[in-house]
Order: sequence, then structure tokens, then C-alpha cells
Amino acid sequence: MNEDELLKGEKVEKILSPHPLSFMRFQSLSLFLIIWGIVAGWLINFSEWNNLFSDNEWLTIGVWGLVLLFAGIIASLITVRWSIFFLYLIVFAGGIALMLSAGWLDTYGIFIPFYTVSISIIGFLMVEAYRRSHKYIISNQRITFKGGIVTKRERTLRYDKITDINAKQGIIGQIFGFGTITPISQSGFGLGSDKSFAGGGVQLGEKKIKLFGLFGGGKEVQTPRARSYYELHGVYPYKEIKKIVEEMVQGNVITPYQQEQVAFQKEQVDIQKQMRDLLKMQSESKMDQEEGDSSEEEKES
Amino acid sequence: MEASPIDIVIFAPLAPILGVILFWFIQLVIIESEKFLLSKIRPKHEPFCKFTNFLGILFQTVCHALGFTVTKSGISDFYISVDYGRVAPKKEKKGIFEWISNAFLFIGPFFIPALLLLICLYFLMNGGFEIATPSQLLELRYTFGEQITTFGASLLAFSNSFFTFLINIDLLHPAHFGFLLLMIFLGMGMRPSYIGKEKHERVDMLYDLKNIGTLILYKPIYPIILFVMAYIFFYISFWLGQNWYVALFAILGWLSIISIVSIVIADMILLLIRTTDEIPGKWKVFPYTIMPVSYVLARILFFYIPTDFTKPASILILILSTIIVTYVLLKRKSNRFKTERDIKQLKKKSKGEKDE
Repeated sequence: MNEDELLKGEKVEKILSPHPLSFMRFQSLSLFLIIWGIVAGWLINFSEWNNLFSDNEWLTIGVWGLVLLFAGIIASLITVRWSIFFLYLIVFAGGIALMLSAGWLDTYGIFIPFYTVSISIIGFLMVEAYRRSHKYIISNQRITFKGGIVTKRERTLRYDKITDINAKQGIIGQIFGFGTITPISQSGFGLGSDKSFAGGGVQLGEKKIKLFGLFGGGKEVQTPRARSYYELHGVYPYKEIKKIVEEMVQGNVITPYQQEQVAFQKEQVDIQKQMRDLLKMQSESKMDQEEGDSSEEEKES
Repeated sequence: MEASPIDIVIFAPLAPILGVILFWFIQLVIIESEKFLLSKIRPKHEPFCKFTNFLGILFQTVCHALGFTVTKSGISDFYISVDYGRVAPKKEKKGIFEWISNAFLFIGPFFIPALLLLICLYFLMNGGFEIATPSQLLELRYTFGEQITTFGASLLAFSNSFFTFLINIDLLHPAHFGFLLLMIFLGMGMRPSYIGKEKHERVDMLYDLKNIGTLILYKPIYPIILFVMAYIFFYISFWLGQNWYVALFAILGWLSIISIVSIVIADMILLLIRTTDEIPGKWKVFPYTIMPVSYVLARILFFYIPTDFTKPASILILILSTIIVTYVLLKRKSNRFKTERDIKQLKKKSKGEKDE
């Protein structure tokens, strides 16, 4: 954080970045590609079933793509993110397009594993670049969240605006000591919702009259969730950072007792002010009286 | 030779039980070495130790949950973290059900991970799962001696196939490589006790034995019932002329062998970690790099010069090159293996450099 970005009296406590393993959900997509690339290479070239794939490029491409897309569907269903499926679809389509355009269809035994592993390496590099774009600055007045590779995003949150702190630590986080802290603001920033929907259809009649009905139901649950550049994502050391943030929030939040104390002190100050004014008035009138007495004495003399 | 009825009725069923107990005891002793090595590397490899702890706790918790499921107690709460695991039953069952679920908790972690590996081995290994039939000496059948011989023969046949598989393991075969990785990981978690940051209480082999002892002594009637059931099972096998009794215990013996080998391999890895910790700087990565490089180079070499022992020779080259590289690095980069004369020479050299 530059000096000119700091507010008056602001002091930076910590500058953080997400832990290298904190984006494991993205890294695991690349990890799968590496494993599948190696297994596919072995299966096509060295395994006892390689006869099946020799001189049969479309079967090989089909098996390779099928596994890729099936993994994409499974991952999408688990994480409720269809972008994973489309990502793998792009990898698959890109591979076919490259093979056809460059005329590498004959070298599918080498191309498929190399292409898959190369894509996964690119994936790893992209995740790393994305991770490195994150920066969290904890100062004595606020938390500043920064992130984004192309579009730079920033969120500033004052401690007195934080109503709730959500903290989570997965198994990898527990092992390596990192975790995610999501501060929820008064406006509800930092909250997301999980939706589930169940639906069904029924068709009645066969030839002329057809009846079709659809029924379903949905549920929505509010849950603390934010983009990685709007929360303290995968910060290390988790426990220490959590304590710092909680102490900062605690230090900036006025409790009812403290509010009473402030009101009482204000009252005291008012009374003291009144007393000061009274004393001032009293002393002024005394001084006037003394001045009046002395002038009378002077006249008499 | 006539077999005495007392031998058949009383002693013969004991033979495989004693065999399993012996192997299980060996397993406990080897687990101790693993715990020792883990506690030694803990200060420098906290995440790694946490990971092995997690594996241990995971197995323990899963075994406990399995115990509650088997006893139909149900599971109301299942919590697991890197240093703590908790399973609560839906219905608090007492008596034999409680005893069985506790038995799963204390004994399960020794056998369940090995069972996973045994399932994998079934698909990877060529044979070795045959149960040896009682010998041709009919008069000796179902005696203590014959039972222990049959048990031993079954273990020998399995061990033979298992070690042949391990020696010939192809690290360029994804399934074989995956199995080795799984074996190392499970080997590191195949212990029922948690290795903590601070030693709150003594957690060792005696602690495990004490737990199991308490379990047995808590309600001695249950182990006696299990014993009686084992004897009945033996008599049924004897009556039907089948070898089911030995087969059951032979499987437990196989599990123990798998566990022992897994823990020994995990110990070797831990020993390598501990040794490389003494090498300063980035040089400590070198022994780990040399492992895949030497293996791949050996396989390429044997591809052009074919031999009958390509895979075992490649593994031997991997092991030897790792040992040699580690030794050389230790000798050159640390004070380990240095003689008094070497140390004096080093001191002179550094003094000379300072004077200059």
C-alpha cells in the first residue's frame, strides 16, 4: 500500500496474500488434467490395451474426451458450478481443433498427453497469477481487499461497519495453518445464498389429448460467502489474523455499557462546564464589586 | 501318527489365533518406530505430521462410526479435524453393542487401512490369495501343529506373491504407482494414537495395549463369548471337512503383513526426511529429485539393454542412488561422517579465509 493511500493516522498492521494451496478447488481441476494426461499417455502407448487405440484416432479422442467431460459433469454437480464442465469442454474442443487444423491427427498418441499436461500447466500458472493478484491490507482503521488480474477490484471495510465475522478452515487449511475470514458488513456484503430446487413433470394421455404438469419447490439458505477478493481468503497464519481482526472490530465497536459510559461522561462534562460558567460569573461579579468598592474609597479619599 | 482328541478339541483352534496375535504384536512394535520418527521430524515438518495425524484420526473415526453402524446404534454426530475426531451414536446402546463399537475403535485402525490395500492388491497381484489345504497327512489334520502349519503356509504363499509384486512394481504404471502412494499414505496413518505437539500423556504401544486390555477386562464375558464362537466355528469347519477357520484368520494375517510392510516403507520415507533435514540449504531437495530421475534413467537404459530384471533392477538403482547421493551430501555439506582430521582441516581452511 502506498503512503498516499493511507488515511490520516492510519497504520498498516499486516499485508497478506492467500496461501499457495488456498485455491485448491481451482488447482485440483489442473491436477486432474495432469493425472488424466499421464494416464491417457500410458493407456494409449504402453498399456496392455494399447492395441485398442492403435490406428484408431477417433476412438482414442472419444475416450479421452468422454472421461474429460464426465469428470467435468461430476465436478460441476458437486460444486454447483457449470463453468467447470464448460472449461473441460473448451479443453476438449480446443484439442480437436488444434489436431485438425495443424494436421496432428496421426500423432494423437503423443499429442493428447502432451496437450492435456500443457493445458494443466497453463491452468496452474493462471491460478497462481490469480492468487498473486490478491492483496489484503489490515490497518488500524480498516481492511482493504484488492484482487483481479485484468479488472482490479477493491473493497474497503471499516471495523465499525463489521457486524459479523465468519471464519472457516478446511482440512488442507488445518494442516498448513491457513483459513478464510469473511467479514460481513452492515449492508449484508459477505453474505450469499444456497438455493436448492426440486422439480418433476408428468405427462398424461397418449395420442390426441396430452396433459403436462410441472411441480417443484425451492429452498434458500443464507450463508456467508464472498468473492476471494472481497474476503480474507486463505490467509496465513489463520489464528493470528483472526485474532487481530476480532480485536480490531472489538476495539471499534461501542458496547451498550460503553455507550452508557460515554453518555455519563458527557453529562459530567456538561455539569463541569456549567460549574465553570457559574464560577466564572461569580468571580466576575466579585471582581466588579471589588472594583466598585475601591472606586468609592478613592472618591471618599 | 494318532492325533489326541484334546489337541483337536482344545489346542487346534488356538493355533491361528496365536499366529494373528503374534503378527499384530509385531505390527504394534513397528508402529512405535513410526511414532518415534514422526515425533523427531515434527518441529521441522509440522504440516506433514498434521497430515499423518489426520489420516490416523480419519481411520479411527471411520472405524468408530463403522462400529456404531454395525451395532445399529446409528450416528448422530460425526466430526473430524486434524487433531480431533468425534462420533456420537443416535442411540446409546450398552452391553455387547457398546463393547463391539469400542472394539472397532481400538482394533479397527490396525486392520481397516490394510483391508483397503488388500482390495487393491486383489486386482494388481497375480495370485497369492489361496488358502493352503491341510497336508496330505490325514492323521494330522485339525491338530494344533497342522493348523499352525496351514496358517503359516497361507501367509507364506501370500507373502511370496506380495513381495514378488513389490519387487517387480512398475513405477511407470499408473495403478502400481498409485498403489505405492496409497500404501505410503495409509502406512503413515496406520496407528491409533495421535502424535501431539506437546506430550500431555504417554501415547505409545503400552498405551494402546492398555486400551485394549481395558476393553477386554471391562466385560470379560464378551471376549469369552467371541472365543467360544471361534471354537464353534472351528468345530463346524472340522465337521464339514473345510478349512474356513484357518482361512478367516489367514486373512487377518495377510492384513497384518500388509500393515507391517506399509509401515516399514513409511518408516523408510520418514528416515529419509529426517536424514535430509541435516543437509543445509536447497541441497536437501536433491535426494528427492534423484529418486524419479534415477528410476526413469534406469528404465530407459534397460529399454535399450533388455534384461530379465528390468523393474527390480530399476528400483534397486533408485534406492542405491538415493542412499549414495544422501550420503555424499551429508558428508560434503554437513559435519556428519566427517573425521576429526576433516574437521581440523575445515577449521584451518575457514581460519585462513578469515585471515585473508
